[in-house]
Amino acid sequence: MRGKPLNRNYVTQHKNTILVYLILAGLFIFASLATDVFFSSRNLKNVLGQAVVLGLVATGQTFVILGGGIDLSVGSIISLTSCLATGLMLGRDPMALPVIGLVLGIALFIGIVNGLLIVRTGIPPLIVTLGMMEILQGIVLMYTDAPYGEIAPSLSFIAWGQIGGVPISILFLGILIGFGIFVLKRLPVGRHLYAIGGNEETARLSAINTGRIKIYTYMTCSFMAGLCGLFMATRMGMGDPVGGEPFMLDSLVPVLIGGTSLVGGKGGLVGTLGGIFIITILHNALNLLDVSGYWQWIIQGLIILVAVAIYIKEKI
Amino acid sequence: MVAEITIRGGRMKASPNFNPDGNMSLPFLEMRKISKRFPGVQALDLVDFFCYRGEVHALIGENGAGKSTLMKILSGAYRPEAGKIFLDQKEILLSGPKDAQARGISTIYQEFNLVPELNVAENIFLGREVRKPGSPILDISAMHELSREQLAKLGSDMNSRIQIKDLTVANQQLVEIAKALSLNANIIIMDEPSAVVFGKELDALYRIIDSLREDGKTIIYISHRLEEIFKIADRATILKDGKLVGTVAPKEVDKPTIVRMMVGRSLHETYPAKGIGSKNEILEVRNLSRGKILKDVSFRAYFGEILGIAGLVGSGRTELARAIFGADSFPRGEIIFNGKEIKTSSAKNAIKLGMGFITEDRKKEGIVHSLAVAKNLTLIILKSISKACFIRKPAEREVAQKCIHKFNIMTPKLDTEIQYLSGGNQQKVILAKWINSNPKLIIMDEPTRGIDVGAKAEIYQLMRNLVQEGTTIIMISSELPEIIGMSDRILVMHQGRIVGEIASAEATEERIMMLATGQQIEKINEGKAIES
Repeated sequence: MRGKPLNRNYVTQHKNTILVYLILAGLFIFASLATDVFFSSRNLKNVLGQAVVLGLVATGQTFVILGGGIDLSVGSIISLTSCLATGLMLGRDPMALPVIGLVLGIALFIGIVNGLLIVRTGIPPLIVTLGMMEILQGIVLMYTDAPYGEIAPSLSFIAWGQIGGVPISILFLGILIGFGIFVLKRLPVGRHLYAIGGNEETARLSAINTGRIKIYTYMTCSFMAGLCGLFMATRMGMGDPVGGEPFMLDSLVPVLIGGTSLVGGKGGLVGTLGGIFIITILHNALNLLDVSGYWQWIIQGLIILVAVAIYIKEKI
Repeated sequence: MVAEITIRGGRMKASPNFNPDGNMSLPFLEMRKISKRFPGVQALDLVDFFCYRGEVHALIGENGAGKSTLMKILSGAYRPEAGKIFLDQKEILLSGPKDAQARGISTIYQEFNLVPELNVAENIFLGREVRKPGSPILDISAMHELSREQLAKLGSDMNSRIQIKDLTVANQQLVEIAKALSLNANIIIMDEPSAVVFGKELDALYRIIDSLREDGKTIIYISHRLEEIFKIADRATILKDGKLVGTVAPKEVDKPTIVRMMVGRSLHETYPAKGIGSKNEILEVRNLSRGKILKDVSFRAYFGEILGIAGLVGSGRTELARAIFGADSFPRGEIIFNGKEIKTSSAKNAIKLGMGFITEDRKKEGIVHSLAVAKNLTLIILKSISKACFIRKPAEREVAQKCIHKFNIMTPKLDTEIQYLSGGNQQKVILAKWINSNPKLIIMDEPTRGIDVGAKAEIYQLMRNLVQEGTTIIMISSELPEIIGMSDRILVMHQGRIVGEIASAEATEERIMMLATGQQIEKINEGKAIES
């Protein structure tokens, strides 16, 4: 691909991604023209900030889905990590780093448990992570049934800090996604993940440790959900025991719109990134246009259906 | 039974064209007294198997004879309960597929082990990617270069950036071979390659196998088809019911001997006697067209005949069948069935009108794996065994029992899940299922693919019986002897067109191949060149 002109082969292989970015560009232009506010630096910063929450969790979800799995426990992990973080910090700066370490450790541990259950017992990922979701949600609500705690003030820069006018958080997300793309495209482990999603038996017979790689994906996904929980806590200042709930399914939306196939082996983070911004800009623009939240749901649903229908059709 | 005409391996005379070093006394691979049990079956019972370097060794036997199990043991996928494997005179213990690969044993399965969404180079190097020196980063351009080199050695200039799903089956097979070679395989196991490639492509495969043999590779070639064993194999080992029957050199024995060894009885490869079709039309197809796939196809089928459709894979045979059955729609043309034009193109409508369709891909489209035999049998006649929309169990069992008896379906119980039956018995279930609905026309796409010799003969007889009762069969097949042996008339397709019609008495393999490869065009489309 280096320096060569785009050949047809390249275009056909990446047409889903190309489509995602065409839609994104169209949406961007529409939003800029339809509202005065959209294309202002303040609103664009706002959009970037909003994209981070969804972006963190959807990035993790992409890894799991590429391997042919799904993780429904991300929502409870977000709630759990945000409540634990604020509940344990209680506004004390010295507690910030130890608590972050603890909370992310817990998230990783949940990922290991999810992965091990799926790999060792053969229970379908949907069921394992559904079970995990309910267990964790119960635990969070036992810990606190109302928004609770206080984030360490020194951490507020994560939510609100800027470098050269760009939110730090989006730079952080950008680095994570860039690293993710590098892992998926340039490291053997990424290649193996595509192989597992595409044909697990082949991957196994090619001497790939499929179980270990699948466990990695659940760990990545939980870890990213943990980061998402922490980030939400820094934005809200306190932990919300049900704040993560919508992400159980919302985290799938950018992944699917981005062209990653739910059966695995196809798609990737570049598409997901496009999907994240499509969803964020869509909601932002519709809010600016004063479209009711109910309509926003309906429109988002239609976009998912249309996008996936196009991807499936192109396969034939 | 004439079983156990033991021409045991050890006493064999080697044919001259393998083992160029003359180093005959030392086999390269030896499997001694291999046994393997699965719940309920002794899959392998003290089987001996050995090969030399530079030998094409056919492994033959009916379904369930233990060929695949033996090869899965050799490729490290299964572990034997007893027995030893020697490679180059040294005993080896295979810990798994990776170990076998590392020792130079590669397997090319019938269902290829390729990841459709990855490209050629990515597949060839899957699991052992080339990295940039001193880093964990993939060296993508090196992998493409190495892949192209390996493919070039096989005489292919395939683009290594193409995704596997966009390749033809024959090219996918080539990628598998390239992958095996780049693994430095000395022993390449090919599981029924001729079940997936045909015609010219199969000839090309034979040439590749020949050149591999000259390079001193050992090819173990699993097959059902006796013709090709005589064409390419230096020796053949025959298994039956998990036991070794013997190892022979095809050059020194004749076909009936091998058939006898395979089935334990003498089996004439004759087809049931043909009948006389009527002159009453059941089906007329007029100018059926669909893009580049079907071009202006017209033909008629009569009551009580078997109409064979020959042609290479991709010539539009299956697509034609699907269009007639209403599985695919077609933009232009007419289909007149039983005197009435079919207006709505849907499978449901076709079944209602009295058509049946036995698909090429039994596993994917023909059966519901996890349903019991009885339930598979009654799937399309549920209405007739139901009362007020409740399925009547006794009626279902009665119908199923009848079918099992009539079609000689070997199943332990009515409630056995169909996935546990052999390919031949599954096919009989499918046949029975359709016949239950009393169709006037049955389309059969590769009705005997992957089915052993014994079951084939039964299916041929069942087909003939059906036709005698007035049903019409349209049979698509890639096996020319089957097309010629079974059909009353033969249509040959090439690139979406019907390029000739041959009466059964005048049909020869050469004539069909000439038409199917577009080298000659008869009757229809005269003068129009359709060369590719």
